[in-house]
Amino acid sequence: MIAQVQPLIPALRRYARAMLRDRDDADDLVQDVLERALGAWHARREAASLRSWLFAILHNLALDRLRRIARRGTSEPLEAVPEARLATPATQESAMEQRDVLTLVALLPEEQRSVLLLVGVEQLSYAEAASVLNLPQGTVMSRLSRARERLRRMMEGERPAVRPALRIVP
Amino acid sequence: MTDIPMSEADLQAHVDGSLSPERDAEVSAWLLAHPDEALRVAAYRAQTEALRAALDSIADEPVPPALDLHLLDRARHRRAGLRSLAMAASVAVLLFVGGMAGWALRGWTVAPGTGTAALAREAASSYAVYASDEARPVELAAAQRTALDGWFSARLARPIAAPDLRSAGLSLIGGRLVATEHGPAGLYLYRDGKGRRMALYVRPMEVEGTARMTARRESGVSGWTWADEGLGFGVFGSASPEYLHDAANQVRLQFQRT
Repeated sequence: MIAQVQPLIPALRRYARAMLRDRDDADDLVQDVLERALGAWHARREAASLRSWLFAILHNLALDRLRRIARRGTSEPLEAVPEARLATPATQESAMEQRDVLTLVALLPEEQRSVLLLVGVEQLSYAEAASVLNLPQGTVMSRLSRARERLRRMMEGERPAVRPALRIVP
Repeated sequence: MTDIPMSEADLQAHVDGSLSPERDAEVSAWLLAHPDEALRVAAYRAQTEALRAALDSIADEPVPPALDLHLLDRARHRRAGLRSLAMAASVAVLLFVGGMAGWALRGWTVAPGTGTAALAREAASSYAVYASDEARPVELAAAQRTALDGWFSARLARPIAAPDLRSAGLSLIGGRLVATEHGPAGLYLYRDGKGRRMALYVRPMEVEGTARMTARRESGVSGWTWADEGLGFGVFGSASPEYLHDAANQVRLQFQRT
């Protein structure tokens, strides 16, 4: 079991941090996920992929936390979130652009953000994402489409001069 | 090729590279003929790459020790172990408490050093010592019954009278005062038709002023104990418990009448 789950931990941490935007909160959440996974290992349906099972636990716990934070009203305004807490500072020239994209993604509605992250970053299949989010695949697709379009407009709105070059991969 | 119907889902799947090679080629061809859509798809690809670039460093970080599955698993087993240990401990405590309760219940519901349980031991000891004494089992014989009753009444600070147990086939031999750690106790000795002796032991009760009649067996002697209105009684002898029970009932009835 450990051998199967261990390789997925970096991805779980990545998704948790993208959702919660705080390194300690995110790792705490992942620990919670791992403990539950250890406890519920035998209740796991073999048919479901391990990855979507773990991400489903993580996603639901993340939503619980986000709702608790929202209820408490202690969620700090996005501008106040230190950049370092969003991600480790990139050293490349594109560091600025990367932080921009994270800031903008954080502005997306949660339901769009999670689809965008699961499909775009974690590279889950649409079926896996649908299983994680407990949604029909069609809903996942339409949310993905809305998320990408919204992010595109935000990015263009922020940097109108920079337009993505037309690039068609054969 | 360019008029192939194209769905939004196909475009998204093209961004994610999840189309079959054939379909993907069709989408690529369609996009060549639809530059606006091609621009949009390219933007999606760019944002996806930007997102991955921004977040991939997290996955490259060393996993903190708090997320080490081996440690978490061990901690979980320790907790489970502690839980079963706690369970075992509580079972042991319950058994111990149960055992103690059982021990205490020998003397009804009070500790063995007090109540009718203690009285039972005293009565049985008194029986063993005095009933077997052929030379001088009693200090005051039945002939001095009035003096005996007066003596007991004075020392036990309540009216005491030797019950008449002739209906049970028992005749009074006499009695003596016995010292106990709870103060003085009165001991009446009776004799049945077969020459067997029976002791009636009486003393005030500090605890358990009222106790139901309970069968006792102390150091090989059978008997019954009970308590009424602060006075404890023990009837012990070598006769059968049933026979002694009859006698005990007679004693009880006669004391209740006084």
